[in-house]
Amino acid sequence: MGAAKLTVASLHKSFGGLAVLEDVSLAVTPGEFVSFVGPSGCGKTTFLRIIAGLESADHGGIRIDDHPVTKPGMDRGFVFQADSLLPWRTVFNNAFIGLEVNGAINPETRSRTQALLRLVGLGGFENYYPRQLSGGMRQRVNLARALAVNPEVLLMDEPFSSLDAQTREIMQSELMRIWSSGRKTVLFITHQIDEAVYLSDRVVVFSRRPGRISEIVAVDLPRPRPLSVKRSPEFVAYVERIWRLIEDDVRLSVLEEGG
Amino acid sequence: MSATRSHAAAADTGATEASVGAPRREPRGGGLKLQLVAWTSILGGLALWEFVGRVLVKNSLFLATPWQTALALVQLWQEGALQHHAWVSGQEFLIGFAIAVALGIPIGLATAASRRTAAAVNPWVSGLYATPIIALAPLLILWFGIGIWSKVAVVVSLVIFPVIINTEAGVRNADRQLVEAVRSFGANQMQIFMKVSLPSALPFILAGLRLGVGRGLIGVVVGELFGARAGLGYLIIQSAEIFNMPKLFAGVVVLAAAGILLTAAFQALERRLVPWNYE
Ligand SMILES: Nc1ncnc2c1ncn2[C@@H]1O[C@H](COP(=O)(O)OP(=O)(O)OP(=O)(O)O)[C@@H](O)[C@H]1O
Ligand SMILES: [Mg+2]
Repeated sequence: MGAAKLTVASLHKSFGGLAVLEDVSLAVTPGEFVSFVGPSGCGKTTFLRIIAGLESADHGGIRIDDHPVTKPGMDRGFVFQADSLLPWRTVFNNAFIGLEVNGAINPETRSRTQALLRLVGLGGFENYYPRQLSGGMRQRVNLARALAVNPEVLLMDEPFSSLDAQTREIMQSELMRIWSSGRKTVLFITHQIDEAVYLSDRVVVFSRRPGRISEIVAVDLPRPRPLSVKRSPEFVAYVERIWRLIEDDVRLSVLEEGG
Repeated sequence: MSATRSHAAAADTGATEASVGAPRREPRGGGLKLQLVAWTSILGGLALWEFVGRVLVKNSLFLATPWQTALALVQLWQEGALQHHAWVSGQEFLIGFAIAVALGIPIGLATAASRRTAAAVNPWVSGLYATPIIALAPLLILWFGIGIWSKVAVVVSLVIFPVIINTEAGVRNADRQLVEAVRSFGANQMQIFMKVSLPSALPFILAGLRLGVGRGLIGVVVGELFGARAGLGYLIIQSAEIFNMPKLFAGVVVLAAAGILLTAAFQALERRLVPWNYE
């Protein structure tokens, strides 16, 4: 293990009196793909938002390449769960906005953004408006937008949760293809355990709120992973193991939320 | 406030429709059929009006028929009176409208930007917006005289409030998700305002202007009724006093046409400035 790309040191966060994250520590190596699973409301999004600099921690801190981060910046790219494309911008101008706000407007960044749109399969759609795209295409634009600033760390909060099952599978393998071509460090939140296992080098399991890391499962499946790996006994065993780790917590948190 | 609300509702459906793949278009054949229905309705209405005027209400003190109105229009045009009155009213409307927009948009932006400004300004805005300000028209004529400036003042007082209210609502309506997305790239407050708040406010601002068109025309006419030397409202009140119904109707028709044209112009402007809602 070389130097960590990203370190999280005993992170605490509460909203008012509600403790959301308690003593979360983690080190992620360069180029690693790490997924986060855990019951709803346990603080996964909050965790990712703190890393993105959109929220501040009460205690503890984040370091990227050993530099502390407190504000949003081009070294991180965030892919949101909800559709967050600007409706008045075309596909290209949406993908370009991160570079634009950082003043990186030049022919080189433009052609890089073009190339990224082709990479995510949107070549030819540059001048479409978001409402003219399908849900899957819009999420590809979201991905391209985050990648366009050429971040070292990609933060993804349930990026495929609004997609249908087939589109989702295709997006998973596309993400794998894109990730292997650039080898960014990726932090990926999901509720689908099989998605986490399929994509990740490690799966981090959060406990129910206040969220802490209850277990980290290293996924030892050879890469590249064809979609058919999901039917292999090893894969199924990983999924079962992780499900057993969160099953009770999920049940309890559902009961709590229900009333 | 109703325009703001209905516009907000339109924006909502826009967001849910966004999940549908292809852009929506009116089916061409259906559009043509609807146009046919519209024209039949208009011509039918005019025919009915002509019939009523000729056969049922024969007393020309009460009603002018479309035909008589058309003749009056031609005559007024030949005298040059129509052009003169329309020019005076047009000036009053355009100057008043421009002042209301030039003041209303910045005020709306300011109240949206700062809670303190909003707290100071909004009680006045909502209070005056709900008041039938038109009742103050005689007072404004007393203050600004019988020339065009009193009418300009009436127009400003009617148009400015929907512009302020819609501008503020539009900026405040900016989707938090979109703000976050742009902020995640390190955008500063000014960039967030320029790249997110303002574009998302644009359809609301335009809706406010469209609402202002109708109110502004009312302002011109009512202002002129209370005291003027020229203008379409003046033409109408003069004709009423000498029971010249065709001329009175001619004035009304010109005003109606102006309203329709201006509203259509604003719709065209919206399509140009807000193409993402239409393409
Ligand atoms: N800005 C905020 N103010 C107050 N409470 C908040 C805020 N953001 C999140 N919370 C609370 O923090 C808790 C964790 O929220 P978070 O969104 O991080 O959960 P999550 O694990 O992402 O849930 P899900 O899986 O449902 O997306 C929730 O109880 C939520 O109500
Ligand atoms: Mg979440």
